[in-house]
Amino acid sequence: MSTVLSVKHLTKEYPKFTLEDISFSMEEGRIMGLIGRNGAGKTTTIKSILNLIHTTSGEITYFGMDLASQEQTIKQQIGYAGGAVDYYKKKKIGQIVQVTKTFYTQWDDEAYRKYMELFELDEDKTPSELSEGMKVKLNLVMSLSHGAKLLILDEPTSGLDPVSRDELLDVFKALAERGVAILFSTHITSDLDKCADDITYIRKGKLQFSGSMQEYIEHSRAEGAGENLEEIMLHYEKENFHEKLAQ
Amino acid sequence: MKNLLSKEIRLAASPLAWLFLVFGLMALIPRYPILVCAFFICFGVFQSFQSGRENNDILYTVLLPVRKTDAVKAKYAFTVLIQMLGFGIAAVATGVRMVLLGEATPYVTNPMMNANQAFLAYMLLIFALFNVVFLGGFFKTAYKFGKPFVLFLIVSFLGVGVGEVLHHIPGLTFLNASAPLTDPVMWGILVAAAAVYVVATMVSCKVAMKRFALVDM
Repeated sequence: MSTVLSVKHLTKEYPKFTLEDISFSMEEGRIMGLIGRNGAGKTTTIKSILNLIHTTSGEITYFGMDLASQEQTIKQQIGYAGGAVDYYKKKKIGQIVQVTKTFYTQWDDEAYRKYMELFELDEDKTPSELSEGMKVKLNLVMSLSHGAKLLILDEPTSGLDPVSRDELLDVFKALAERGVAILFSTHITSDLDKCADDITYIRKGKLQFSGSMQEYIEHSRAEGAGENLEEIMLHYEKENFHEKLAQ
Repeated sequence: MKNLLSKEIRLAASPLAWLFLVFGLMALIPRYPILVCAFFICFGVFQSFQSGRENNDILYTVLLPVRKTDAVKAKYAFTVLIQMLGFGIAAVATGVRMVLLGEATPYVTNPMMNANQAFLAYMLLIFALFNVVFLGGFFKTAYKFGKPFVLFLIVSFLGVGVGEVLHHIPGLTFLNASAPLTDPVMWGILVAAAAVYVVATMVSCKVAMKRFALVDM
């Protein structure tokens, strides 16, 4: 398996928050959950690896290419979807797609039609007419139609009902089987129990763990931190909370 | 850049940007501060920025496989396109007014600004103000447009005021001639304003690109 994304010593300093020395890597066909409580640094990490913000230090490479110098080539091969973000709410999906496809050299109309049908999306609808789950699916269609090998998704399951969430996780698994790597941030740990191979856990801006989810759960279980991801997260996060409460 | 300009036109532009081009025809109105047409044409562009922000246009653009600074160039290209279309409409209306209606009483006795080369020059200067003050100011954050627009509103109306005052000053009354078709000074003023517009827009675009490169989304 080849490495699709490598993040080394990523640091981003804000006046009141620092994302510090984050390192992780992703292989093709793997699903990685980026977890942490609200404000831990998940979105800052995602924005950094998409070059939406300026990092203080660190090295980010995709498919062996440096993000800073080969951003355009890299963006031809990755896709992004933010849970709550939608673009051109009142334009028809077909119109948005007609414009978007002109930017991608590998755009595949056949794949586009196939995924639109699979996700039951209608070109004549506007994003404002779609449910939250359908919006995420629309972003997935756009990414998959230009042959994205890595999907970066910021809280794609938040705001979805349990059935839509479950369907979306099934989609992730099916895509991973086809070799697509998926990095998605979430604070809903049960999503990861169902589909993640790896996790990167960020706590208060620092890397707590990155690697196989199974290994992490076994290791934490041995330390008495919990039986599953939710219990483990609660254990670490509330430990700090209780310390503060006692002060 | 062609794809990005197409994206500006097909996705980001507000219909008002096109509709407000009609204000170029204000050049035909006598006894009216016709230079406000330049403000209204810019106001249509402003509406596109407003609609763009509501639709996460900048984020959509920078996530495309394009250079971040190309997003700035595309906004400038769209703005210049609208301004040149508005200028073209006003220029045709001005031509009609000067060639066919130059001796018409409402224009000859017009106490307000007449549509002539000086008027077209002022239009270009108002456009240049928009590009420097509004566009340049917007790209400091790529999000906040209230302050740069209010600033543009103030300077553009000051500009309209100056334009209306100048031709009342002794020695400058020629600026309000109703049909100065062969006056080389008037053509010179138009050419000079065009040069100012081009230079100001290019410099503003370069500055905006530098500013936007520093913005965290």
